[in-house]
Amino acid sequence: MADDRKRMFAKHMEIKYTKEHGTNKMEGGKITDMTVEYYRLGVDQNPRKLEMKKAGQELAKKRGLVGYNPMMHCGGIPLGQRALTPSFLSGTDDMVEIDDLHYVNNAAMQQMWDDIRRTVIVGLDMAHETLEKRLGIEVTPETINHYLETLNHALPGGAVVQEHMVETHPALVDDCYVKIFTGDDELADEIDKQFLIDINKEFPAEQAAQLKAAIGKNTFQAAHIPTIVSRTTDGGQTSRWMAMQVGMAFISAYSMCAGEAAVADLSYAAKHAGVIQMGEMLPARRARAPNEPGGIPFGHMADIIQTSRKTPEDPANVTLEVVGGACMLYDQIWLGSYMSGGVGFTQYATAAYCNNILDDNLYYNVDYINDKYDGAATTGTDNKVKADLAVVKDIATESTIYGLENYEKYPTTLEDHFGGSQRATSLSAAAGSAVSLATGNGNAGLSGWYLCMYLHKEAHGRLGFFGYDLQDQCGATNVLSYQSDEGLALELRGPNYPNYAMNVGHQGGYTAIASAAHAGRGDAYAVNPLVKICFADDLLPFDFSKPRKEFARGALREFEPAGERSLIIPAK
Amino acid sequence: MAYEPQYYPGATSVAENRRKHMSGKVEKLREISDDDLTMILGHRAPGSDYPSTHPPLAEMGEPECSVREMVEPTPGAKAGDRVRYVQFVDSMYNGPSVPYVRSYAAAINFRGVDPGTLSGRQVVEARERDMEEIAKFQMETEMTCPALASLRGATVHGHSLRLPEDGVMFDMLDRCRKEGDVIIMHKDQVGRPIDKKVNLGKPMSPEEAAKRTTIYRVDNVAFRDDAEVIEWVHRVFDQRTTYGFKPEN
Repeated sequence: MADDRKRMFAKHMEIKYTKEHGTNKMEGGKITDMTVEYYRLGVDQNPRKLEMKKAGQELAKKRGLVGYNPMMHCGGIPLGQRALTPSFLSGTDDMVEIDDLHYVNNAAMQQMWDDIRRTVIVGLDMAHETLEKRLGIEVTPETINHYLETLNHALPGGAVVQEHMVETHPALVDDCYVKIFTGDDELADEIDKQFLIDINKEFPAEQAAQLKAAIGKNTFQAAHIPTIVSRTTDGGQTSRWMAMQVGMAFISAYSMCAGEAAVADLSYAAKHAGVIQMGEMLPARRARAPNEPGGIPFGHMADIIQTSRKTPEDPANVTLEVVGGACMLYDQIWLGSYMSGGVGFTQYATAAYCNNILDDNLYYNVDYINDKYDGAATTGTDNKVKADLAVVKDIATESTIYGLENYEKYPTTLEDHFGGSQRATSLSAAAGSAVSLATGNGNAGLSGWYLCMYLHKEAHGRLGFFGYDLQDQCGATNVLSYQSDEGLALELRGPNYPNYAMNVGHQGGYTAIASAAHAGRGDAYAVNPLVKICFADDLLPFDFSKPRKEFARGALREFEPAGERSLIIPAK
Repeated sequence: MAYEPQYYPGATSVAENRRKHMSGKVEKLREISDDDLTMILGHRAPGSDYPSTHPPLAEMGEPECSVREMVEPTPGAKAGDRVRYVQFVDSMYNGPSVPYVRSYAAAINFRGVDPGTLSGRQVVEARERDMEEIAKFQMETEMTCPALASLRGATVHGHSLRLPEDGVMFDMLDRCRKEGDVIIMHKDQVGRPIDKKVNLGKPMSPEEAAKRTTIYRVDNVAFRDDAEVIEWVHRVFDQRTTYGFKPEN
């Protein structure tokens, strides 16, 4: 294939590396130059570092105890010996300081995770059947609407049934609500629109048909407890909080006797029937509650991101948005904090969603696949290539070599992804996702990921940190394994999978590969239709259809998070 | 006919250089004195005794063991030296060695070594006097260019950055610099200032570096042009995928 295409990252590289930012004087030169003059200007070249330096000085003065001081770096040699350059969020024209992509500095990133952790899906049908059969209560669309109105009062912490109960201030919990969705169009028509996630409205017709067929005439509640509650407690609190308020709402809405024996049946059915957590529990050695990121399967994460219903005709875009969201959650928050703690993991993740480098590689792959395999990377099920090793080798090898050569031809790209782990994530995510797009098979994509690692290591004689070098050289052996202790289709693997527990830089890519297989086919969901529908909801503070844009808004301080406590904190 | 190890596939100069590094039959290009080497490694003062972690093996009264009798201890182990490290960073811009080849070279040609490979650096740990032998070997031969490879025990950042204008690989701690036509090191490998400037010799010219390098680059020897190497990577991949680590099955 002719290699005369305009690199997607070129514009961003030219702005990032040849223009002045703040006072860094980084002007001139070409992005293909192998040499450059480093001015060694330190932190004073960067507006955000200056802000942080000033804040550190004020903090030290205020409390009489030293704090942040950039001159502590390497015993007095400050950051910024090379230029401190900002980054573009891929797929946008938003340029941000990279400090603002640490989740501590980015309210949108926090909200994305908050919105996942505080979500639980609870079935409604068994509770209704219990009401009808055990208690002889008639359930109609009107009673359902009344129940939902009651629950939207009770779920944020409003009292029902009992007198003189403490309540939460509604303005502190204004992000808390419940909606329902159903595959039964007749019932959906009868539900008050404010309570309904309308599958027919939110999804393209073909996807809506798939989803309704998958869930049948069943009805589910998509519940989001208050951000402030899940932050104060943990992911396990989500189902507990929901369970308590559901029970009370049923009792109130259907005027039940709180003490009668049948209420126990209802209570059990209402709280536990058809409950879907976003993440499962982890083993004791990494123990967390349900609904914590280590338990979220890649397929769930792929379904949580909503780009597939917005741009189904562009499966590569779907994949890239999944990369952004999943790298942030799994690398920055899960591995970077829950498993490790610190700051370094941010840059493993940002390599995959900044400056259009991965995007360029994947869109090149799409062109390559469509040219060679007759449009196999376009959305559809009848155009896919058979998922065999020859195809994996061909696509993953071409993808990897193209990406490697970009690092060789464009030294600013190599400098941008200055660590091997960053390069390995980007290259392998491109190779694996491309194989997935072409074959519609996530495990074939995963196979492409591992071949990419082998080729990368061999070409440059280096790979990532030891975690990469170890796990990526034995990964190919478990791609197609379905033994009980090392099996699972990619969609059902997650950070909990034995070999992935410490795989920083990988899990976002694996999620993308799982997503790409289904986006390539035009599937409405990757593994769980309930999760996909639950997040098809514009009322959530974080827009899951474009996570990268949201991260940019967070970095630019334009994002309004939920769960803020300023209402009850003295004004400053 | 005696067996000749092949070490590495491939028909290009990069593959040939990888074979050469692994075989240990590399060209000596410069001299580094023992004292200079000790000074830039930074583990002990030049001329001082090797600190030890145990008495010489001969004084230890070790239990009878056929394996102990079969394996001759390295000089460092025999003397009871502590374990110390040497760590290199090799530029992506035609640095003469790449981390995996440095590891292979150490593992194939030296005993008692523990090589570690990462993206930007390669560390060898060994008993101190054994480590010094390896360090000297690497620094004096074509495995190293003083401008494109650097001794860095800490703050290894720089292997993938563009080269500063004088062609010396970026180092935020400025351990090495070009003075006249040679590279000097005025700090040890972790960045502590040392008492004198150590002359590491002349940098390779761009042409020489391109000729001696073990990295594939599209502007020199492209990876895609070494079909035999790619074929062997594919073979490893096939066998690991199909058979796990048991290709005989």
